[in-house]
Amino acid sequence: MKTPRPLGPGPLAPVPPVAGQTLDAQLHLLDRQVLDSDGVPVTTVDDLELGAPEGEPETPMGTVIPPGTPAPVLTALLTGPVLGTRIFGGRPPSSRLIRVPWTDVADVGVVVRLGVSGQGLDADWVERWIRDKIIARIPGGRRDPR
Amino acid sequence: MKRLLGVALGILTAIGGFVDIGDLVTNAVVGSRFGLSLIWVVAVGVVGICVFANMSGRVAAASGRATFEVIRERLGPRAGLANLSASFLINLMTVTAEIGGIALALQLASSVNYLLWIPLAAVAVWLVIWRVKFSIMENVTGLLGLTLIVFAVALFLLKPDWGNLASQAIPAVPAEETGATYWYFAIALFGAAMTPYEVFFFSSGAVEEGWKIKDLIQSRINVLVGFPLGGLLSVAIAGCAAVVLLPAGISVTSLSQVILPVAEGAGKLGLAVVLLGIVAATFGAALETTLSSGYTLAQFFGWSWGKFRAPAQAARFHLAMIICLLVGLGVLATGVDPVLVTEYSVVFSAVALPLTYLPILIVANDPQYMGRHVNGRGVNVVAMIYLVVILVASLAAIPLMIVTGAGA
Repeated sequence: MKTPRPLGPGPLAPVPPVAGQTLDAQLHLLDRQVLDSDGVPVTTVDDLELGAPEGEPETPMGTVIPPGTPAPVLTALLTGPVLGTRIFGGRPPSSRLIRVPWTDVADVGVVVRLGVSGQGLDADWVERWIRDKIIARIPGGRRDPR
Repeated sequence: MKRLLGVALGILTAIGGFVDIGDLVTNAVVGSRFGLSLIWVVAVGVVGICVFANMSGRVAAASGRATFEVIRERLGPRAGLANLSASFLINLMTVTAEIGGIALALQLASSVNYLLWIPLAAVAVWLVIWRVKFSIMENVTGLLGLTLIVFAVALFLLKPDWGNLASQAIPAVPAEETGATYWYFAIALFGAAMTPYEVFFFSSGAVEEGWKIKDLIQSRINVLVGFPLGGLLSVAIAGCAAVVLLPAGISVTSLSQVILPVAEGAGKLGLAVVLLGIVAATFGAALETTLSSGYTLAQFFGWSWGKFRAPAQAARFHLAMIICLLVGLGVLATGVDPVLVTEYSVVFSAVALPLTYLPILIVANDPQYMGRHVNGRGVNVVAMIYLVVILVASLAAIPLMIVTGAGA
């Protein structure tokens, strides 16, 4: 996992040894297909959100991270308009981010698998809207082709 | 026995599905202007599409990932988006050309103006995508497309001087053409044989039909036997044009000139068969390109996609295809000549080829995706040679287009 660059000067402390599988955010998470528990595509991992570990206070944006602060953890996969800012730059306000909580992730392989159904996720609202307002209303829209 | 039938059916549909409006027009144009002196390009293109389709089919079967998911994963969002924009626009141009092709063929069959056929053709394409099962769609259009063999039959019935025809097949620039136009049409012919949509479609089709590693042998036979035989159909189209149109000094600017040699060689019956074949081939290709436009968008953004799902289970995918068909309709409604759109679309296909070829080549060598099914050394040698060929064709296409005034 990538650690955020400290805002102040000074050398980085060495990465503490971790047990288990190491994931590279760029290589194994970003731009991977996300499937829900039924194997239906939900979205692609457009960006990642990091936060303080549980029980620790959040470090406010733009402040120097004091030494000894515990390493941030991955809190959510992001999708939606954040893809635009990742390509063209900028940062959407935190309230506008569409999150898939990291606790919903069941497995990371060639695809990221969720342990929950996509039906209830915020990440799937455009799909549901287009389905309910347009596609399902065209005759035959709900017919299984097999 | 069932397996044997499956292989035979696969080969036949691969032959019938090989030819689309791009192959029809480009081969006839080239045959009428250069005789058979550019026919070697068809061979280069056929080997290329075999290598490329094989790799992307193997990637899809081994990892379950279709082409554009892989492209985004490997290139990241920025280069991926640039790639998507280029590939998608060229694919949209091909959709437009194919629907125009259906309408032109129906005009030749009915004498009703093609502009009236265009909405009908687009609605028919949409209905098939909306309702018909993937395998039925593939097999019916592929088998009906086989009737284009009438080009080969007509070539024999025309009783050409075979010795003279064979001597034309030596690569040489004809006296009345320049080197620049020769190479421009070489690239067009290469682009027509190796259109990128075939690869989006092939790899997504592998996911649609749920291929596993054990199905790879059958797909390899389909590709390695079907595509070269399909290439022979292309050669027959060029051959017909070289025998009838070249001596008469007719250069191809419309679909009626493409089928003129068939009418001369095989008469009314041949004409009926070739019209059926062209409608089937362009209809099949219109289905494939329209689906490809949905596939590329859905795979890039991670939407649910596939004809194996009910449309409501892949809502954005189906909406995207409806919009693409409407855009194609709008473009054709301006009265732009579909044959002209076709001629440009094959050249731009050649320009865009490296964008899809390179990521597939990289992933086909990545053991994380492929396990032990990574490219063998032999495949990689051929694939690297083609990487160079594709890059050269891609870089030379636009300058040659400007220098030659698009081959005029």
